[in-house]
Amino acid sequence: MSMDRSIYVATSGVKQTMDAMSTSANNLANVSTTGFRAQIESYTSVPVTGEGLNTRAMAVSSTVSSDFKPGPLQPTDNPLDIAVQNEGWIAVTGKDGKEAYTRNGALVVEQGILKNVQGLAVRGDGGPIKVPTDTTLMIGADGTISGTQAGINSTTVQVLGRIKLVNPPTKSLERGEDGLFRTKGGGAAAPDAKVKLVSGALEGSNVNPVEEMVNMISLAREFEMHTKMLQTMDTQTGKADQLLTLT
Amino acid sequence: MMRSLWISKTGMDVQQTQMDVTSNNLANASTTGFKKSRAIFQDLLYQTVRAPGAQSSQQSQLSSGLQLGSGSTIASTERVFTQGTLQQTGDQLSIAINGLGFFQVLMPDGSLAYTRDGTFQTDNTGQLVTSAGYVLQPPITIPPASTGITVGTDGTVTSTSMVNGINSSTTLGQITLNTFINPPGLSARGEGLYSQTQSSGPPTQGIAGLNNVGYIQQGYIETSNVNIVEEMVNLIQNQRAYEINSKSIQNADQMLSKLSQL
Repeated sequence: MSMDRSIYVATSGVKQTMDAMSTSANNLANVSTTGFRAQIESYTSVPVTGEGLNTRAMAVSSTVSSDFKPGPLQPTDNPLDIAVQNEGWIAVTGKDGKEAYTRNGALVVEQGILKNVQGLAVRGDGGPIKVPTDTTLMIGADGTISGTQAGINSTTVQVLGRIKLVNPPTKSLERGEDGLFRTKGGGAAAPDAKVKLVSGALEGSNVNPVEEMVNMISLAREFEMHTKMLQTMDTQTGKADQLLTLT
Repeated sequence: MMRSLWISKTGMDVQQTQMDVTSNNLANASTTGFKKSRAIFQDLLYQTVRAPGAQSSQQSQLSSGLQLGSGSTIASTERVFTQGTLQQTGDQLSIAINGLGFFQVLMPDGSLAYTRDGTFQTDNTGQLVTSAGYVLQPPITIPPASTGITVGTDGTVTSTSMVNGINSSTTLGQITLNTFINPPGLSARGEGLYSQTQSSGPPTQGIAGLNNVGYIQQGYIETSNVNIVEEMVNLIQNQRAYEINSKSIQNADQMLSKLSQL
């Protein structure tokens, strides 16, 4: 009877290590993704309750949070590339129409609307930011977008809007299934004037390859340990069976 | 586990694409009027395997959920239209644009294309054509008797010729420049040519020197805007990221092999 129970504990270990491995693989796959925030994964132990003594605890793998450290700045010389310095987020409208936050500041102008490279409209202080035709854009450190328009007196600088920059506590943010971050209640965070942008640069991924590689090695060894446990259970049960065999 | 294998595969895929983009940039490091591209990545969808607050037993809940990503993908390859360096050639038909505009040329199929490559020549009728033989629009025809061509910074083309021993000059026309609201939205046709798309918007024709469209410089060509150092750094990063992702495939493979040996 003891075998089937302990074997399930070992099995849960094998399964959870695989999940943890996926998280690590996802972080490494996104080592070059603009503005990516690494996932942090850890185990929680869940005691198995039921009849008999509480001797067993299963491990459950969870993605507890994300790493919010800034990634490296990569200069691109493109005036439509922005990176958030230190803390803060760029507000965009997600595909669900709700406000979402990203650190990916590769911007484009599509059909007269300022969007990020994923095709999501950047949120201004009053709805989406409209860009008139033939405008050369400049983005200031506080998110103010100004443009000089060809055709009119080209030295006239018009202010077209200001990108909504927010900095809610990271604890209140969660990653959505589209990879964008939103507040846990789904509400919109207030604009924060302290958030600063750098124009002409993008922020790289904050995945630390060293950490992830080491993490992966340790997961591989944990995995081996769990499979070893399975083998041990198997041997033990075999031995028990032999004792009970009537020869 | 199978998931890890596929996730790492997407990681290798994007690095492969980045490699293609970098190679193409490096291959065009000396192409006149070439504009470099860059690949921008994004993460793929996440699957919420277990939402936070799932029951761990009848009395207790797990405080954190399990959200598994599925790797990365290319969001887009974007062309970067920064100015290339102007290099003097001394050839009177080399015309460079210093600024935003594009030359308009007529393609053999009757469509219009746009280019930054101003290495012009004349065809058998004396018309100004690109090095591939596409006629510049509006057409400019250089008379056979012409002894010299001057192109002003506003694009006005003047020809000088000797008539009865006297130098005389005639204005042949004006080279106009075309700007787009969103140059990265142009679609590249190869040979340094671009066509307009919905995303780039229609061209706005303008006179060089006015309204921000740029200036015309005779006797210069615009070199490629590829920065070799930047591309080399990209290449190094790229190669290592590729290796790291292949390591994670190996790792997943070893785990699977342990399983199959049970």
